Amino acid sequence: MTTTEGKRATFKQRYEEADDGLRFQDLTYTGNFVGMEPVTDGIKGDKMMKSRAKSKVLEKVSKEDVLRDEFTIDELNDLNNYLAWNIWDVLVMRATEGVSGMIPRQEYEILAFMHEFYRWPEILRMTTEEVGGGQGIMDIGATARREIGTKVNAVHDWCIGAVGFGMGRCGLLALEVIKAGDYVGESNEILKFMQRVLWGKRQDGYILNSQDRYRCRIHEPDFLAQIAAQVEPLEPGSPKHGAFTQFNAAAELLSFLDHYDCRLGLGDTGPYELPDGNLLILRDLFVNEEVFHWSDVCDDAGLPHCYTLAIIIDPEKMALAEIRVNDISTTFTRPKNYIEAIVGGAVFARQKWNTPMGEVYPIKVDDLAEHLGKVQTATLKLYQKTARMNRRDLIWNGQYVYYIDMILPHLRLAGTYDKACRDYDFWEIDQRVANYYYDIVKRGFAQETVPSKIFSGAGYLPFPEGASLRSSKGRWL
Amino acid sequence: MAEVLAEGYNVFDTSKSPSGTIRYLSAPADVINLIQSGKLGEHILLVRGGTTTFLAPALSMGAIGVITMSGAPESHLGILSREFQTPCVMTAHLTTSDSRYVVGNTDDAHFEEIAQALDGRRVRLDCTDHEVGRVIADD
Repeated sequence: MTTTEGKRATFKQRYEEADDGLRFQDLTYTGNFVGMEPVTDGIKGDKMMKSRAKSKVLEKVSKEDVLRDEFTIDELNDLNNYLAWNIWDVLVMRATEGVSGMIPRQEYEILAFMHEFYRWPEILRMTTEEVGGGQGIMDIGATARREIGTKVNAVHDWCIGAVGFGMGRCGLLALEVIKAGDYVGESNEILKFMQRVLWGKRQDGYILNSQDRYRCRIHEPDFLAQIAAQVEPLEPGSPKHGAFTQFNAAAELLSFLDHYDCRLGLGDTGPYELPDGNLLILRDLFVNEEVFHWSDVCDDAGLPHCYTLAIIIDPEKMALAEIRVNDISTTFTRPKNYIEAIVGGAVFARQKWNTPMGEVYPIKVDDLAEHLGKVQTATLKLYQKTARMNRRDLIWNGQYVYYIDMILPHLRLAGTYDKACRDYDFWEIDQRVANYYYDIVKRGFAQETVPSKIFSGAGYLPFPEGASLRSSKGRWL
Repeated sequence: MAEVLAEGYNVFDTSKSPSGTIRYLSAPADVINLIQSGKLGEHILLVRGGTTTFLAPALSMGAIGVITMSGAPESHLGILSREFQTPCVMTAHLTTSDSRYVVGNTDDAHFEEIAQALDGRRVRLDCTDHEVGRVIADD
């Protein structure tokens, strides 16, 4: 540590009611609140957005609220506004990254957004019916409380509403193929599904980490105790510390690559405060997703579906001022470098997505070298394989990563994935979206228009007052 | 006083100060060739985007330092550089030029100017500041 000597950790102040948190960026958000005070990032931004809501949907809500069949127009608009801010909060700086040079991400993203908005509602409705209604969906969310290596996690659950509804509707509005009053019923279907999964997982009345000062403390205490008991001490600067952090980085990199440079391969929960004052972050790194055909190189390398790392951070060692586990499952801290403050760790492997928890096995830090080699081998092979793909294949593969994987874990647990494939043509491309493939490259739509609408918040038009909750799209004019 | 050639976002503050010859990588084939040459450790890598897949094998095999022309610490490459503890300066701009990266509104000339000025220079990265990372001449 070069810059924190003599300083103390102050992160607990962030959890005091009056505290507004730190600013992680200088930018501010306007969205649908033109003429009002700009909204900041972080805890203060969450408070501002809650204060501008017309309904109570952004406060802690009850099980009865969640089981209700549909949202009102005010509730839909409050969720639309909050998700738009939340998207800005977690992604506006990431979105400065420009072109990949490898994978045309902006292109595949916008196609997936729109595809999800069109296709997911009937699949989610069928899934809700198959599990016996809203309680069944909440139960799917609740499974994450006693599991590691599960994709029923913050980023996937958030994506249902933020991406499938928020960005999907925003993209279609920007393309001028729908109007603000269209697809109210379908929007309700998507957002209800999201709310039920997230509420069932958190069980504190909130649905998003940003509503709880960026905490995702979902695991049951006895389950956490079993994990914590496996942790090995790590001395910063020691070879063992290096082996653990190197493996964390390499596996995280492959999880990004296997998921086409998106966050779906990574899932953090926490921070959990341990009895000794240290913080635990649980990190799932999905290095081998069997539904992706390009993941065959990960099979060949002998990689499991997921590695889970228990990461112990000493907050005093880094004079931690704020820690955020955001809604796309990523941990950010101030100061930024938490790696040198890692003082303990454990690694687990889940062979398949449905491997029972009792068969998830620990890997000693001293034995990580073998696994690191497998990860590096798969990374190089997957890179070479991807580099040979043409642009069209890259775009549609990436589109599938979003459109399929974001709701895959929920369909798997509901037992409806095969039905979605067989009866709902889940892996087919809707003809409207197939045609948009040619539209999105015109006039900078994918590279400039959509990012501008999505990340400024200007594209999330509210549903008109008095719109029917039953409204779909009555006319194509 | 050493000459500061370029500045940008510092992904994470570290006392590590890697030095090497800047190698501009414009295509996946450049990345593969560099790794196969066995000289990855001699170079500070200069890339245009802030995404992580493009540099994936280089990061995995031990890149010592990275400079990007777009992106931020919250970008995927920023996150991975932090995890690997690979010093990284993002959205670097030349100190001798007024040209700056603007999302969705930056023409190729901006990137070409930076690549032309830095490629082949021997430099050292200074990432001790909380916010600003610096590319310092080490010729």
